[in-house]
Amino acid sequence: MSITRRIFLRNGALAVVGTTALPGFLARAAFGAADPGIRDKRLVVIFQRGAADGLNIVVPHGEASYYAMRPTINIPKKSVLDLDGFFGLHPSMSSFEPLWKQKHLAIVHAAGSPDPTRSHFDAQDFMESGTPGVKVTDDGWLNRALRERPADQLSSDKSGPDKSAFRAIALGTSLPRILSGKEPAIAINNLNDFSVGGKNPNAAATTFEAMYDHSVDAVLHGTGEETFDAVKMLKAADPAHYKPAANANYPKGRFGDSLKQLAQMIKANLGVQVAFADIGGWDHHVNEGGTQGQIANVLGEFSQSIAAFWTDLGDLGEDTVVVTMSEFGRTARENGNRGTDHGHANVMFVLGGPVKGGRVYGRWPGLDQSQLYEGRDLAVTTDFRLVLSEVVSRYLGNKDLKEVFPGFEGQADQFVRLLG
Amino acid sequence: MPSSVRRRRLLVGAVLLAAAAITAQSALGRKKDKPNALPPLDDQMRAVHALNRLTFGPRPGDVDRVRQMGVDKWIDLQLHPEKINDSALEARLAAFPTLRMDTAQIIENFPPEQLIRQVADGKAALPRDPMQRVVYEAQLQRLEDKREKKEEARGNGAETRDAAVTKTSCAEGACPVAINSDSVQMGDASQRVNDVETRRREARRRDNLKTQELADLAPDERMKEILALSPEDQVVLAGARGGKADALLEGLNPRQKETVEALNNPEQVVVNELTQAKLLRAIYGERQLDEVMTDFWMNHFNVFINKGADRYLLTSYERDAIRPHVLGKFEDLLVATAKSPAMMFYLDNWLSVGPDSENALGIARHPPGHRGNHPQSRRPNGKRKQAVGLNENYGRELMELHTLSVNGGYTQKDVTEVAKVFTGWTIDPPQKGSAFRFDPQMHEPGTKTVLGHRIKENGEKEGLEVLHLLARNPNAAHFIAQKLAIRFVSDDPPPALVDRMAKTYLKKNGDIREVLRTMFKSPEFWAPEDYRAKVKTPLEFVVSAVRASGANADDVRALVGTLNNMGMMPYAMLPPTGYSMKAETWVNSSALLGRMNFALGLAAGKIRGVKVDAAGLAAGATSTSSSVGATAGALPDSSAKMMDAQQALAALENSLLAGDVSRQTHDTISKQLEDPKISQRRLDDPKRPPNVAAIAGLILGSPEFQRR
Repeated sequence: MSITRRIFLRNGALAVVGTTALPGFLARAAFGAADPGIRDKRLVVIFQRGAADGLNIVVPHGEASYYAMRPTINIPKKSVLDLDGFFGLHPSMSSFEPLWKQKHLAIVHAAGSPDPTRSHFDAQDFMESGTPGVKVTDDGWLNRALRERPADQLSSDKSGPDKSAFRAIALGTSLPRILSGKEPAIAINNLNDFSVGGKNPNAAATTFEAMYDHSVDAVLHGTGEETFDAVKMLKAADPAHYKPAANANYPKGRFGDSLKQLAQMIKANLGVQVAFADIGGWDHHVNEGGTQGQIANVLGEFSQSIAAFWTDLGDLGEDTVVVTMSEFGRTARENGNRGTDHGHANVMFVLGGPVKGGRVYGRWPGLDQSQLYEGRDLAVTTDFRLVLSEVVSRYLGNKDLKEVFPGFEGQADQFVRLLG
Repeated sequence: MPSSVRRRRLLVGAVLLAAAAITAQSALGRKKDKPNALPPLDDQMRAVHALNRLTFGPRPGDVDRVRQMGVDKWIDLQLHPEKINDSALEARLAAFPTLRMDTAQIIENFPPEQLIRQVADGKAALPRDPMQRVVYEAQLQRLEDKREKKEEARGNGAETRDAAVTKTSCAEGACPVAINSDSVQMGDASQRVNDVETRRREARRRDNLKTQELADLAPDERMKEILALSPEDQVVLAGARGGKADALLEGLNPRQKETVEALNNPEQVVVNELTQAKLLRAIYGERQLDEVMTDFWMNHFNVFINKGADRYLLTSYERDAIRPHVLGKFEDLLVATAKSPAMMFYLDNWLSVGPDSENALGIARHPPGHRGNHPQSRRPNGKRKQAVGLNENYGRELMELHTLSVNGGYTQKDVTEVAKVFTGWTIDPPQKGSAFRFDPQMHEPGTKTVLGHRIKENGEKEGLEVLHLLARNPNAAHFIAQKLAIRFVSDDPPPALVDRMAKTYLKKNGDIREVLRTMFKSPEFWAPEDYRAKVKTPLEFVVSAVRASGANADDVRALVGTLNNMGMMPYAMLPPTGYSMKAETWVNSSALLGRMNFALGLAAGKIRGVKVDAAGLAAGATSTSSSVGATAGALPDSSAKMMDAQQALAALENSLLAGDVSRQTHDTISKQLEDPKISQRRLDDPKRPPNVAAIAGLILGSPEFQRR
């Protein structure tokens, strides 16, 4: 069925078109400062595209076989930022250390998709659709996670069925698979471009707005309304004037920019509930590097951006959870080119106010030959959907996990319980 | 307003309103058996509808032409594209020589990195043709730079790095990256970095100057100079971007252009030509139904162009596997895609080895020297691949996405058996042209059972038997019929129509032309509630806007960029499902803003390489169209000086949307023209002619133009 419940709501809302009453979220945005009584919970998902090498990110420095299998690209014991005597962070992730010590940052190791594919595109697709092995799923789990929830479950805003146009945001030029689906979601590449006919008020924008507002075309009327709400909200909230906090040092690059803009939208109180950003450059088949080199560089960008985002959010971090994922891990052994090939399990970071951090969750399967998946890769002991299910049900409050992750058998009693 | 227009608008208003209402109803799952009886489509609307559904959108004058010929006769002609002269398009496509090259020629002319490595390591020879050679030399230089860079990254003395920087004349984006990454421990590091920066700046200035000098030469002279440059300078030249790059290409013939572009990234030239050709064909092809069906089947049998070797395999895939069969027999299409190197590579079948094959058991060995090229030991990108067994990727998609559909009655066991059947269907290594071949040593021996049928051991023919089985399966007939109906009729097509189409499919042995004919002759196809009811995909929107505005697109690269921003880059759908043809995927805020901005930009002439004569359009429409009447013929030329804003609006509604503009949209624009308070700037300042470009942009961005 192609049209959703929201269209019905939009049709219902037709009757009030033309009134000047602002929906609650818009009013809040327009009037600036966040009401401390209103707390929106938000989930930020970050995808490391290209299969990050989890074993060189959260290093099992207590495993002798780790060093045996990676003679030239290992992270020496003396260089790792030790976490618990067994695992340690890659040295270029020092910006994560304070988050770990403050117990905001949790780690789930040996997590991943049970599907055996080692194809980037299949595996990314499965992680975004949330249905490993099933390709015909036509929407993404992050979109489904938003579905069918009474508005007040997520937010204390009781002003009605209207939802913020910024409820689901992807940072980038197009809507990724993970956010595609029936719930409205918007892709924003650059806050400054999100308007019609330029940033300033112009005749074309006014005319288009009136045109879509008066349109009898239910679908386009609804989307048009959403769109112009969003444009107006952006204008009213002017997120660009929220400068990063003094000590939030976003590194240069697309990923840092994405998170900086996301922080602006959150601070401008635009009603963001789920957001998605991605960072590429992890497919290190050749010359991966160890403490220095390719992986060190991209990890620096990755961790500094997230740390800056966290710092930038300040108190708003209390109501934010950030989850990171990558389609699969890389071979336990280094290959003949001082790199690693496509593997299986990986590491996930979970950061946020309600997170019980400072711990590495998940069962460690070990790196002995007999413990490796298909004799070559870190085995998956925690299905990525189990981590996400916990966040979706216990944090976002969507208990309908059968709909968010159809076909997934994981139960609440299996959760790793990383949320407080 | 002439009364004929007013009447028409009321009728269209009723139809559009009904269509929208029905869409909303069906959404709620309480579709009425019979919608409020709408009048059947009149001749004009039938012509518009046929054009909207069988083409990428009407061009100025198309509706009249189709009416003159008769809608049925025109449809019949579109079903026989071979009878349609398409020479104007052919002339435009002459600019893209790769379209006419076979895969071996493409690889030879636009060498992938693997081939360059072989040349560098003395395992392959440089081509003799100077035009080819120059591309290889530039890539060799690039490879050498890359290897040097790696060496530098490995060594840790700032000295070596500095030395290398001065030695390498570095192009934009190709400079050694390690310069300032970790040289902090050196006492005079910042001074060195400054020196390096200064030198780089100077080098860049020199390079720009050189590029400019070359651009100023006459085309043939310029080409001669470029061929004579050192590989280092050629690499620098290849780094030119934007206006500078355009100036370098100005006036060169297609072959020369390709060569200069290939200095930068040979594979990308192949991809760019294919992508641009797709847009030109959609915009300018006269064989529109053929083009629509090519797009349909390319999407059905989706291959992602950015997966390694598929960059140079897709040109042949579309031309040789898809196009010959788009209106032919489905089974021929299925066999052609199954054997295509592009599909074989995309869905990994070329790597699939039977677990009990000679190859897996190590029984028979290839003669010495041959093994190195064997697919399961080497991949086209040159990386060693660990030994693999059965790969089910193709077997699964073949049934799930190409034929039976996801609930088409097959099991995991069938997937595995089909995968066994197709073991041995593989491809030659790229330097030999990546052609299809059957390798009996990879093939799984023994009888297989697929969907209850015994497939006796028969080598390559087993695969053909399975394809035949699948193509004749009623579930496949239904799936194909359903998908065609979604493309041509509605997101939620009437089951009775789909059943009749599936029946035709089975009766006529999967004859696609006959299935289409059944659909085009059905009352469901002409149902008034489906008139202008399908939401356009980004491709359909962009192309239909360019067509409707009668634009001249000399350079479609900006249009490709627009599609990329709208999330529908041609050939770039990563998963094998292909792009969605349904409204829900394509109606969202960012998409809508993108459409409005594109509409305004196109009409205002701000899309690079695409020219629109909005004034001419307004004037032309009033003078040629019969339905606008009185005001029409009054205009002597394409100047809109004499026209007032309301006349221009009426004329543009007519030319861009065949007059099918709702009362609401018309009134909104009309009010905008009259009420200066709505905007700070009036569109119809009496001292100036009406801003027809702005009006055209508003119409192209209107809700009505988002549907077909």
